[in-house]
Amino acid sequence: MSTRTILGSIAFVTFLSASVSACGASGRLRTFSTDWTDDQGASIGAVYDRLRNAEPPPSADLVVSVAEGNKIIGTPLGGGEQWTAMHALDARPVIAGGVVVVSGNKEIAALDAATGKQLWARPTGGMSLLGAGDDGKITAVSLAGAGGSKLLVVGRDGSVKTQIETDKSIGDPAVVGGVVFVPWSHQYVSAIDGATGDEIGRVTLRDKVSRALSIGGTLYFGELAYIRFDEKIRDASKGLASRVAIPQRELPGTPRLLVPGTEKVPPVANARDRDRLFGRPDGTSDPLAVDSNRFYASYYRIVFGFESKRGHLAWVHTHPNDLIGGEAVLGGVLLCDEEGKIVVLDAQTGQVAMEKSIGEPIKSCVVEADTFRAPKPSSSPKSLGQQITEAVTAKEATLATAQRLLLRELATLEDESATKTLIDIASDPRSSPVLVTDARAALATRRNGASHMLAALGKHYDYLKDVLASPPVGPIADALAAMKEPQAAPLLAAHLFDPAITDDDVKRAAAALAVIGTEKELPQLKQFFAMYRGTAPTEEVALAVGSVGEAILRLDSKGGRSLVEAAVNDPMTNSVARARLEALLAATDKGGGDKPPTEKAAPKK
Amino acid sequence: MALAASILVGVAGVAGVADAQPAATPKVDVGSAVKKLKSGDEAQIRAALDDLRIAGPAAASAASAVAEVLSKGLTEALAQQAIDTLGDLESPDGSAVLAQYATHRTLAIRRAAVKALTRTKGKAAAPALRRALSDPDAQVRGNAASGLGAIKAKDAVPDLFVALDHKVNEAAASIGLLCNAQQCEELAGKLGKLPFDVVTSGLEPVLFRPSSEVTDDTKIKVIGRLRELGTAEANRFLKDVEGRLPKETSPRIRQAVEQAVKATMGGPQ
Repeated sequence: MSTRTILGSIAFVTFLSASVSACGASGRLRTFSTDWTDDQGASIGAVYDRLRNAEPPPSADLVVSVAEGNKIIGTPLGGGEQWTAMHALDARPVIAGGVVVVSGNKEIAALDAATGKQLWARPTGGMSLLGAGDDGKITAVSLAGAGGSKLLVVGRDGSVKTQIETDKSIGDPAVVGGVVFVPWSHQYVSAIDGATGDEIGRVTLRDKVSRALSIGGTLYFGELAYIRFDEKIRDASKGLASRVAIPQRELPGTPRLLVPGTEKVPPVANARDRDRLFGRPDGTSDPLAVDSNRFYASYYRIVFGFESKRGHLAWVHTHPNDLIGGEAVLGGVLLCDEEGKIVVLDAQTGQVAMEKSIGEPIKSCVVEADTFRAPKPSSSPKSLGQQITEAVTAKEATLATAQRLLLRELATLEDESATKTLIDIASDPRSSPVLVTDARAALATRRNGASHMLAALGKHYDYLKDVLASPPVGPIADALAAMKEPQAAPLLAAHLFDPAITDDDVKRAAAALAVIGTEKELPQLKQFFAMYRGTAPTEEVALAVGSVGEAILRLDSKGGRSLVEAAVNDPMTNSVARARLEALLAATDKGGGDKPPTEKAAPKK
Repeated sequence: MALAASILVGVAGVAGVADAQPAATPKVDVGSAVKKLKSGDEAQIRAALDDLRIAGPAAASAASAVAEVLSKGLTEALAQQAIDTLGDLESPDGSAVLAQYATHRTLAIRRAAVKALTRTKGKAAAPALRRALSDPDAQVRGNAASGLGAIKAKDAVPDLFVALDHKVNEAAASIGLLCNAQQCEELAGKLGKLPFDVVTSGLEPVLFRPSSEVTDDTKIKVIGRLRELGTAEANRFLKDVEGRLPKETSPRIRQAVEQAVKATMGGPQ
């Protein structure tokens, strides 16, 4: 059934409305009534049957931005000229089909999405614009005020076809074939005849719903997930509708897939616009899935691409400026930044597939991309490790939340370069303290990248050489000891005498030497033992004395035990160190120490 | 000074000073002090260190015993006392263990060890002090820089220049004490780039060093750099130098200073 046919079948609609079960006393659904008994999908099924072949017409592929001084800029993604329009703005513009609905100065106006020319304007009585839908012939607009909500259905000529006022909270509508789909009370979607205002069907959803959206020629309802308007919609109240959601996983900030349709969105982007989640349902897939097997999150200027089934991180893109809006498109994600740059990232790799300039800084943007497909990028992608490194080494406090998440992702990569990145972050005095803590924790669990760790251990604090931070000696010591890396021993022994490393680092370096120290380090171990057994300034250093004692016992079968015994018997030995040494002596026989590891015990690389 | 450990030392007697000299240093039984040091008893060690500190360099023969007890390990308080004692004994025998403690994690111990090294001198002192120029603590760096001058570690001058460029101001005076002609001119070249007081703390010793160490030509170049500055502070400095020039100062230097004083009079502040 074509759109034209539907619009011409008002008599049929009336019949349909009259025939649905569980209606009001008059036999018809009372619009937005709450005494309605769920009809098990009968009415919405009938609406679906009626609209089965009435695809929503494609919306304009367009980015609409708000710039300084109530300037509205329309940037087509395909052909066509960029346009500008001026209108007072008290809410963010809404792209609906072929129109752009703007609100301000107590009126709403529809602009032609192709040219920006005003098609019509209607007074709002001070109500706020929430959302809009359009099928090429009529535009449905939802408004909210102190006393309730209003649904306004306007023809292309500006004539009001239907106006419904309700005390219910209605969301963002969509229009298909003259039927207006209105989500309300977060659980219902009512199908309203655009010409008569009659409610001709209703569905109860098992998901929170406040938006009806036309995406790529398919109608969806949702807020936290997408529910497709298809054959299965009649089973929606049983939870059996076609549905796709973004998998639960840790994300930077608290991004939302869809802004609630009941929420007035300000014309200027705010913090919530810098923390977004994007995903596009694939209208052709059965069961319903996410386009390109990807969903995306943006956090200030970092963009994440996730595999959509399990939520694994696929790529990271670090953008030069803060991103303030965007949308998932076919084969990628489109974003705009506050400098007025539009960037399209490839779904699979996160590479920049397309860039476009709006020409001036912007305050917010909205995107509609029904048919636009991200072009294939020409360059070859960087590895995920490289991408994460780029993102986590950006020195901006606002990015710390995202960077912490990325560090955890980095720690899961087998790539040796991930180890180097963790070392670099932990060694850089400009790194945020929380990142340093995370990087150190991750580094201690690494079991590859030993060459990078050894290179790092070769460095020491050196004021004259402007090396003003020590390497993360403790975590590296943990990792290299676990890897049984014998080359680490002399380097760790040298760090025992570096006053710039932390006491915790000393403790862990000593613990590692207890495992991987060799006879070659005995002179240094004995020197440390003597220097600190009585002067250990902290418990960590005292424990380090214990570990060094353990190494001496193991490595010096002739004099080690007597040295340790003498220390235990000397009242000048620190009590913590003594307790540890006593325990060691008790645990080892008098026959002398074990032999040090003579060859590498196959560390995992 | 190589004295047997058991010799009873009377410093005043050894020095044979005249009546005008300060009060005589108390006599210390070095042999007994060494015995106490080896006792392993905290109180006895403390007492021995007290005695040796009072004796000072006259008890230098006990330095190796102090070094030994320190190298075996002491409490923090005793370690600090032993380090100070080694400094007071001024024996190179103490420098090796002091070099070790110059890297200690306890700042007070590190500072004390660096100070002591400047007095013990010895083979280990210069490398340890050069390492200490890179210490995280500014006071340790400053003491190390001063110490390198005090022990006449000429090889350390390049390091001292790096330290000076890293705001270790004490390095300037040491450079002034140790520099060769080229290095002295390099120091003078810092005028106008580093604070005046810092640079002149190094130029002053240059001007007063004997001509066998710093030639008149070099001194005249340094004076010329000060004269070029033409500031009131340069004038004050030169005037001060002029007033303190020793009698044996060459006429060339004296004339150069006098002319520079005149040339810088009335200069900007």
